[in-house]
This record gives sequence, structure tokens and C-alpha cells, in this order.
Amino acid sequence: MGKLISTTLTRALLGLLIIVALGPILWTVLGAFKELRDIVTPVPKLIFEPTLDNFATILRNPTIRDGLLHSVIVVSASVLVGAVLGIPAAHTLARHARRWGDDVQFFVLSLRFMPPVAIAIPFIVIYLDLGIYDTLFGLILVYLITTISTVIWLAVPAFERVPHDIEEAAAMEGCGPAEVFWRFSLPLAAPSLFGALVFTFVLVWNELLLALTLAAQNATLPVVAASITSLGKEVPWGVINAATVLLVLPPLVFIGLLMGLLNTMVRSGPK
Amino acid sequence: MAHIHCTDIVKSYGAHPVISGLNLDIPNHEFVVFLGPSGCGKSTMLRMIAGLEEVSGGRIEIGGTDVTDLPPGERGVAMVFQSYALYPHMSVADNITFGLRRQGVSKAEIAPRLKQVAEVLGLEQFLDRRPKNLSGGQQQRVAMARAMIKTPKVFLFDEPLSNLDAKLREKLRTEIRRMHLKLKTTTIFVTHDQLEAMTIADRIVLMRDGMIEQMGTPDEIFERPASRFVADFIGTPAMNFVTATLEAGLIARSGSIKLQLSEAEFPSLNPGQEVELGLRPARMDLCAPGSANALTGEVVLVENMGAEGQVITEVDGAEISFVTQGFRDLSIGDTVHFTIRPEHIHVFDPKTGRSLRKD
Ligand SMILES: Nc1ncnc2c1ncn2[C@@H]1O[C@H](COP(=O)(O)OP(=O)(O)OP(=O)(O)O)[C@@H](O)[C@H]1O
Ligand SMILES: [Mg+2]
Repeated sequence: MGKLISTTLTRALLGLLIIVALGPILWTVLGAFKELRDIVTPVPKLIFEPTLDNFATILRNPTIRDGLLHSVIVVSASVLVGAVLGIPAAHTLARHARRWGDDVQFFVLSLRFMPPVAIAIPFIVIYLDLGIYDTLFGLILVYLITTISTVIWLAVPAFERVPHDIEEAAAMEGCGPAEVFWRFSLPLAAPSLFGALVFTFVLVWNELLLALTLAAQNATLPVVAASITSLGKEVPWGVINAATVLLVLPPLVFIGLLMGLLNTMVRSGPK
Repeated sequence: MAHIHCTDIVKSYGAHPVISGLNLDIPNHEFVVFLGPSGCGKSTMLRMIAGLEEVSGGRIEIGGTDVTDLPPGERGVAMVFQSYALYPHMSVADNITFGLRRQGVSKAEIAPRLKQVAEVLGLEQFLDRRPKNLSGGQQQRVAMARAMIKTPKVFLFDEPLSNLDAKLREKLRTEIRRMHLKLKTTTIFVTHDQLEAMTIADRIVLMRDGMIEQMGTPDEIFERPASRFVADFIGTPAMNFVTATLEAGLIARSGSIKLQLSEAEFPSLNPGQEVELGLRPARMDLCAPGSANALTGEVVLVENMGAEGQVITEVDGAEISFVTQGFRDLSIGDTVHFTIRPEHIHVFDPKTGRSLRKD
């Protein structure tokens, strides 16, 4: 009997915590499908007639549509390049340059200490001179500082956890360094690397300040979303909610895709 | 044919020398054990033969080919690691066949070979499992299967049994030995367990501080140790050492101890010479008072080892132990007499530690 009560209480507490944690998100999602008058009622409505108008507004609005597109391009490119350059670099640091590894690690981390504001203004000047101000390429370039350094910083420990013996056993079977990396180190470190990539992705996906200062026409989604509030006199709550949902969606899709990719990679040895 | 030929091998890490000028010849088909205390360079030597570690100097030949500068995969050697080093992201079958699949051997050829090694090592029902779902002993067998399936010229084992419990160790030790009798592949096996070395080896290479202290069959190492270090390292319980002075007629005297030495073994000893005697506990036994070569001591401790017992006695203030089946009648404080035959006494130079036995 006592056990039953305690189980029930635990469940209730758990449920409460979930509501507290997910409530705002759910509310936002619901809001995205409501018409404005359903949102601004003094009594919150749970039953309402769902509408896709908000999404239509957003996707018909060229600023927002472009913002989404720009975000996807800039963030995927910078995370992809960051991973392609950062992951092998991290493996090398972890395996072959242990002596300098700690110094390099600290340097890489120190890049993240710097407040973006500090580099934003000089970058405007440099970018204007180079003619890459307000271009997606310019944004990708500056985001690479973040992605490469974050990927290296998080991937070195991931590779250090791969047992040295396994790489040596692979070498004994005739695998060269590249093959050892590709077939053994990478799949074995994959779960941790996956976390590193997601973290990096979210970091740049949410980046606002540099995007705000280094681009004008080619704004990314966070910049656009931040400016929506000033679109009209009446705050378009439904549209804001829909924009938020759009902002959250890509990281989720990205995580799903990565997971699938990693699963297949981990399973495949030579056929 | 896969004899191994190491000439003047030198290895140092920075300024710190680990192996200094080591020469080693291993004939084809032989089972050689590298034995020695921790840190003496056994693993380093093995890893240099495997190609996982570069030599700082010297050449290594395997089967007549100079492999010093070849990568590990091209030396025709297979290695079993202490940690097994199985690939956690592959099934047992994939683990075993990885090397062959990588070489592009056809499926039709791999399947029967896999079946055969799995059968030999009793792994048939585990082939679809992941390594982490196997016990330590089973993982060990997978590691061995992975090495065997490639039919290498040389097997290298680096303390493959040290993560297993005593019972399983003994069992796998016998299996490895039996496997070698069947396959006859040249094998180097590293261990710091002297009993393991004695039971499994054709020849033991006893190492100390990056040098070979003695190389020989287990019998030679046990019965004719080349130095005090070897004598001390091999055999449990450990050998007793007594400093003595020689008298005419090859009698060694130290306090109340008076021992006749073997004329045939030590023809070059002179009266008045200081020597160090080595007395193996297992070579001594109880005797009647006044027997030849008798030692007399007071029992300090009796250790029951099952069939026999180790008796630790005090002779002239120093401890000397011996092993006897009659230990059950002894108790602390008793006076005991025990003896050793002249041919079982080892004599070492007290300064150099080398044996004074004739070659
Ligand atoms: N990468 C390295 N860098 C510096 N010194 C090393 C390195 N690897 C080994 N050593 C040193 O080389 C010596 C021999 O090491 P090795 O691993 O060969 O010993 P071992 O005989 O296998 O000992 P154990 O029985 O403990 O395994 C040791 O003194 C060790 O400290
Ligand atoms: Mg070792």
C-alpha cells in the first residue's frame, strides 16, 4: 500500500516536472496553430480551430523565408567544414601530438573566451575592405572559428577514450593510418563526436550578434525572428510562435539525420 | 620459414635507454617466452618485432626478410594483446575475419576457415555476439582466433592471460601450448609469471634492464641459472642465498653451515675464495642429524601448501627455508635437520653475481 502511494507520488512529481519543462514549448507550438484572437483571450483556450495561416504568413514573407534559407546554408556549411577539419585535427592531437596537445587544447578553448563583440567591429571593417561584408561566405568564415574550435575541443577527449590497443590491432591487420582512423577511431568515437556536432550546430544556429553586425540583406533566421516584433503595431503572436517552431525544427531534423548516419557508419565493416 | 633474427637492437625513449644492444635468434617452430621483472623491456621488444614501435638501432629479420622498416601489417605476424583489443563495433565473426576480408579474400574461402578456428577454440555459438557480451576467457579466445585465422608466420602474445583468474589461466595456458604443438607456428609469449613461462616455453629468454640475462630451456634456466638474478627470479619458494668461504676439498663454510660442493660442476674454485651459495628450498628435505651436507636450524614458520609445506628456519641468525612433505610434524621452535645434495648447490661470484659453474 505504502509502495503504491510512493509510486503514485513519484509519477505525479515526474509528470509535474515534465509539464514545467515542456509546457512553454508546447504552448508555443499550440500558439503557432492559433489565430490571434484565440491567443489573446483572457482565458487560455485549449480547444480551438487550428490554422496554418501563421506558417503561411511566414513562408510567404520573403524576409523570413530567406532568413531560414540563409541560416540553413550558413550553419550547415560552417558545421560541415568545422567537422571535416576539426575531427581529423582532434584525432591527430589526441594520438600523435600529446606533448603539445594540452597547449593546443587551451588555445582552441581560448578562442571561445573572447566575447564576439570584441571581434565584430574589426570584422566589419575587414569584411568591407575584402568585399565580403553582408555575404553568406563571410558569415560562414567567421562561424568557422566557433565550429572548428568547438569541434576540436570536444573531439580530443572523445578520441582519447578510444583504446590505443584497438588501433594497434587494426594496424597489425594491415590498416594504414587513414584506414585505422576511418574504420576504427571514428566509429568508436562516434557517439561522443555526435554530441559535439549537435552542440556546435546549436551554438551557431542560435548565434545572433555576429549575424546582426556582419550581414544586412543576408540576415539569418535569429536576426529575422528578433526583428519580427517590430513588423506591425499589433504584436503578431501567432507568427512569432510559428517562427519559433521553424527555428527549433532544423536542429531536431539535423540530430535525427546525424543519428541515422552514425548508426549505419558504426555497423559497417568491410563487406 | 619463420625464424626470427634480431641484431644489436637498441631502443631508447628520449635519452632513456630501454633496450641496449640485444641479440636474439629464434629458430622456426619454437615457442619462446620473454620473462623478466616489470619494466625490463619485454613488451617493448615484442612491439618492436610486431612493428608497433620503431627501433632506435639494429635490424630485425623474420623468415629471412629484413622487416625493420616494414609496417606491422606487412611483417606476417599476428599479435594477441593483454587487453584483447577486440573491435567493439563488430560481431565476433566480423572481428575474426576482418583481416581476411580486408585483404579481399573471397567469402567462399573465409567461411570454412572461420568455421574451423571457431571450432578449435569453441566459439561457434558466440559468432553473432558483440565482444562486450562475452566473458573474459571467451574474449581471449576471440583474440586468439583473430590471430590464428590469418595463418601468420609468427604469433606474438603480450601477457594474454594476465586478466583472467587463476583457474582459467591454467586452462588457456594448456590450450595455447596444445595449439602450438599442432600448428608449430613460431611464437613469442611475454609474461612476468615464471610458472607460466616454465610450463609453456620451449625456450625462455630471461630479461633484465633491457638485456638478456639468460636464454635456455626451462630446465636449463631452473637447474643451471647463469646468474644470481636468474636463480632468484625463478622458482617458488625463492632460493636461499648464503655467503660462504671455501676450504680445501671444495667445502663451503659459513658459521655452522658446512657444505660439500660438486667437483664435477665447479672445478675452478680455489680454497679461501668468497662465494655465494644458492640453495633451492625445493631441493632440500628433512634428514637425520649428522647426515652429509646437513643444516641445522630452528623452525620459525611453517606454511602449508597442500601436498608439501614450506618450513622457514633460522640458521645462525639468518633465515633459510626448505620444502618438505613431512611439515605436519613440525612446530615453531623445533630444531630441524635438513640436507641438500652437492649437485643441487649453486655457486655465484658475490661481486659479479655470475655463476661459477663450468660451461
Ligand atoms: N612510450 C614510452 N615512453 C617512455 N618510456 C617508455 C615508454 N614505453 C615504455 N617505456 C619504458 O620502457 C621500459 C620497458 O617497458 P616495457 O613496457 O617494455 O616493460 P615490460 O617488461 O613489458 O614490463 P611489464 O611486465 O610491466 O609489462 C620501462 O621502464 C618503461 O617505463
Ligand atoms: Mg609489458
